Amino acid sequence: MSETDQEPRIRGLVAVVGLLFTILVLRLFYLQIATSEDYLRESDDNRIDKMRIKAPRGLIMARDGEILAQNGAFYTISLIRSTKGNFEAAVNALHEAIGGPPIAGRYTKKSSSIRLKRDVDFRTVAIVEEVLKDEWPMAIEIEAKRNYPADRLAAHLIGYMGLPQEQEQAADFLGITGVEKLYEHTLRGIDGVRFVEVDARNRIRRDFPDEEKPSVSGQNLVLTIDYDIQRAAEHALPDSVPGSVVALDARTGAVLAMVSKPAFDPNIFISFQDQEQRLQVINSPTEPLLNRATKGTYPPGSTLKLIGAVAALETGITDTLSTFEACAGSLQVGDTTFRCFKRDGHGELNLLEAVETSCNIYFLHLAQLLGMETWRDYAQRFGFGESTGINLYPEDEAGLLPDRQYYVETEGWTQGHLMNLVIGQGSILTTPLQVARYTAALGNGGHLVSPHIAGPAPATTAIQDVSDATLDVIRRCMRRVVYGKRGTGRRAWVADVEVAGKSGTAQVPNRNDDAWFVSFAPYDDPTIAVAVVVEGGGSGGLVAAPIASKVMDAHFAQQRSALLREDDRPLSLAVADTGNGP
Amino acid sequence: MNLLRETDTTLLGTAALTAILGITTIYSATFHTEAVSTPLYAKQLRFAIFAVIVALAVVYIPNKLLYGIAYPLYLSSFGMLLAVLMWGTGEDVKRWLTFGLVTVQPSELAKITTIIALARYLGDRSGDEINLARTVLGGTCLTLIPVALVARQPDLGTAVSLGAVLLPMLYWAGMRPLYIFCMVSPLLSVVFSFEEVWRVATPFVFGAFIILSTAAIHFLLSRLWFTVSMATANLSAGLITVYLWDQMRAYQKARILTFLNPESDPQNTGWTIIQSKIAIGSGGLSGKGFLEGTQTRFEFLPEAHTDLIFSVIGEELGFIGALVALSLFLFLICRALYIGYVAKNRFFSLLAIGLASMLTFHVFVNVGMTIGVMPVTGLPLPFLSYGGSSLLANFTAIGLLLHVYSNRHEY
Repeated sequence: MSETDQEPRIRGLVAVVGLLFTILVLRLFYLQIATSEDYLRESDDNRIDKMRIKAPRGLIMARDGEILAQNGAFYTISLIRSTKGNFEAAVNALHEAIGGPPIAGRYTKKSSSIRLKRDVDFRTVAIVEEVLKDEWPMAIEIEAKRNYPADRLAAHLIGYMGLPQEQEQAADFLGITGVEKLYEHTLRGIDGVRFVEVDARNRIRRDFPDEEKPSVSGQNLVLTIDYDIQRAAEHALPDSVPGSVVALDARTGAVLAMVSKPAFDPNIFISFQDQEQRLQVINSPTEPLLNRATKGTYPPGSTLKLIGAVAALETGITDTLSTFEACAGSLQVGDTTFRCFKRDGHGELNLLEAVETSCNIYFLHLAQLLGMETWRDYAQRFGFGESTGINLYPEDEAGLLPDRQYYVETEGWTQGHLMNLVIGQGSILTTPLQVARYTAALGNGGHLVSPHIAGPAPATTAIQDVSDATLDVIRRCMRRVVYGKRGTGRRAWVADVEVAGKSGTAQVPNRNDDAWFVSFAPYDDPTIAVAVVVEGGGSGGLVAAPIASKVMDAHFAQQRSALLREDDRPLSLAVADTGNGP
Repeated sequence: MNLLRETDTTLLGTAALTAILGITTIYSATFHTEAVSTPLYAKQLRFAIFAVIVALAVVYIPNKLLYGIAYPLYLSSFGMLLAVLMWGTGEDVKRWLTFGLVTVQPSELAKITTIIALARYLGDRSGDEINLARTVLGGTCLTLIPVALVARQPDLGTAVSLGAVLLPMLYWAGMRPLYIFCMVSPLLSVVFSFEEVWRVATPFVFGAFIILSTAAIHFLLSRLWFTVSMATANLSAGLITVYLWDQMRAYQKARILTFLNPESDPQNTGWTIIQSKIAIGSGGLSGKGFLEGTQTRFEFLPEAHTDLIFSVIGEELGFIGALVALSLFLFLICRALYIGYVAKNRFFSLLAIGLASMLTFHVFVNVGMTIGVMPVTGLPLPFLSYGGSSLLANFTAIGLLLHVYSNRHEY
């Protein structure tokens, strides 16, 4: 070919080649110079993985430092950065290797690591480590597992932890009930971040310890619960008997013990193995998960009579000496005949004797003079019919304090309803916590405390228009219940301390009478107020009073030993000093 | 005549240098993977040595022999392509023929033999004859037969690369640029009537193209029947495109769109391109350093030692490294064009231009793919990508260019 002929054509070809290479160079310039930083960031995002450092959850302790909830560990098998096909193959391989029930983990695109099986045993860990890890991108993760060393003790207060529904395999445990739920935020802490260099198969190649953002541990939670009192209360009320015990610091409302029976073991809710036990607890007809202290509502029986007594003293209807018509075992009010539990009657009684013997007839006379509105007004002042606002989850029940309107709308109003209410029967419903607070108020000079389970004591409110003189009479009445010759609560006696109390035997539909006992001590300046209810227990004085006694005894035994510890004096002298004699 | 003195050593040297860059990059792309008895870079080194020997051997073949065996070579590679379709090996696509221990990829050899045959066919015809319809038709058939066979494997990328040499060679052989435009214009009609590209402007763009192209053809040629038939052909090409696109099912459309814009499918095909762009872009001006590319080392870049070898260079050696690699290619291409330009013999001259076109096409399509301006075709990058057949074919091309250079004064 002749060079001169082809000159325009070679120029054409060179121009085309030049154009194509210019396109490439311009594009390279755009990628590598103009927008290089964006791509550098993307390449860093590729290789640098943020890994979460789970913050250790705060401990839950009793006020004396006994640990009620702590952290253990369990192992979880995870699969990292896999496709759906890959995932299924890996799941099959795992199942084949370890056997047992099908692998529950489900495929998700949301996170780079999928938890296949949680809380596995050491055998599984070994199999994964030795055999499966070579072929599959599996990892063994150590997860924190809540542990409740005291098992059932205070289970309803502490609550339990569980997984949010629908994402059981992936999620963290969260507080579901009790203080675990209520204080979830402070207990949980703040998770940290660890930066690692990973390859496309998510294998860790390098760590960046300097970049690490450490986790902040959850705050420990100290409860107002006293371990010894709680334990004494737990032991006093057998697990087979449904019922509840509430012990408050009578001055502050701090919950010293709160028992609900039957109880449950919160440990089974955080295990992946105890499915059956869990279902058994959830489906049990005795409702072990129900916190009877705050969610159980009962007619309080004769323990409520002191409302009538306070109202009558304040309104001048009676005094310590006045008597009504003698108790003959029954009384006709309107169409209804009310009976005293003592069939042959108590005879003529004044207020102190009426409380001591728990005579119904005396209070029926008294109620007729009081009227519905006055009685209800005083019951309301002592906190019945409303939630106590205790810091627990779920919140406590308000119960039911019926008014005249309530009856008008339901069965129709008759004087008979008030007759029932004044002796703690009929439509009224109370929680053991409400009853304990009422008891504390009777003992502490008329201050309605705010029951609380943790944190500083909320303010107490003085109950309006209840005089010290009235409360002094009430205390004397209640002291006679324990120490009087005819007292119904003599079994509430505690060594070295003067106790005041009131028994109750409440009729409830479809079961034996509920046994009640409320008490506070020491009589003149109470530090503890206790309410006990035993469902279907029968006589309050016989069944509930001894339980209250044991709870109070635990409280004062502690004070005695504290005195012993604090004193430098020789042991023999100290013992001699503390006892006032029974 | 001293053949050795007449050998273009700079061309051979540049090709060898490029191959060494390739071997080095293959080492970097694979050193992190598990050790095998023979590392890939060592295999590639062996291939390269063998390929250089072949290239030198090609230089020494007798002057007139190549011209004589052009058609027999074409026929034998035609036979091999047929054999691939019947007895070929490969997972999804049949690309390889196995003879005992040796596995060859006939499509790589067909690239060379097609160019040789086309060079002879067009070389035998004078510049005036080139512009006759039957010559164009003959050359087109000669090219399209191997293209069709390779496309059947299926290996669309290689098939297109086989066909890509036709136009430059026709042009070099003396075809009028207007006729070349006429050959291309139905393809342009397809592009300009594709509504996924032009959206609402499609009717205007296509209309403008038809009017302008028809006017240009008529003005430059002044033959009414030709103008009318070209306008008809262009219009039909465009309308058929619109009709076919309308008739296609969603998954077929998706497949074509993914081919055109891989990043629309980030899970599969798009992953490759996205990672390649990240690799190259993150390399910056001077790169992350040899063996230091995180995209490469941590296996985010698939096929790093074959199709995406340029991405490794871009990541580890940066813009500078990429420019060096492109400069090597530019030098090879320009040198090939120069050899074609100075060769007195029409067959040799066309041969050199054909080889230069092939090289250009491969470099542009492969590098273009790694930086997201060309679709994913699976074409290797000459001299750099791992693969014996490709290396052998490219060094044979160099050998042929050296042969042409040595005989450039012969008529």
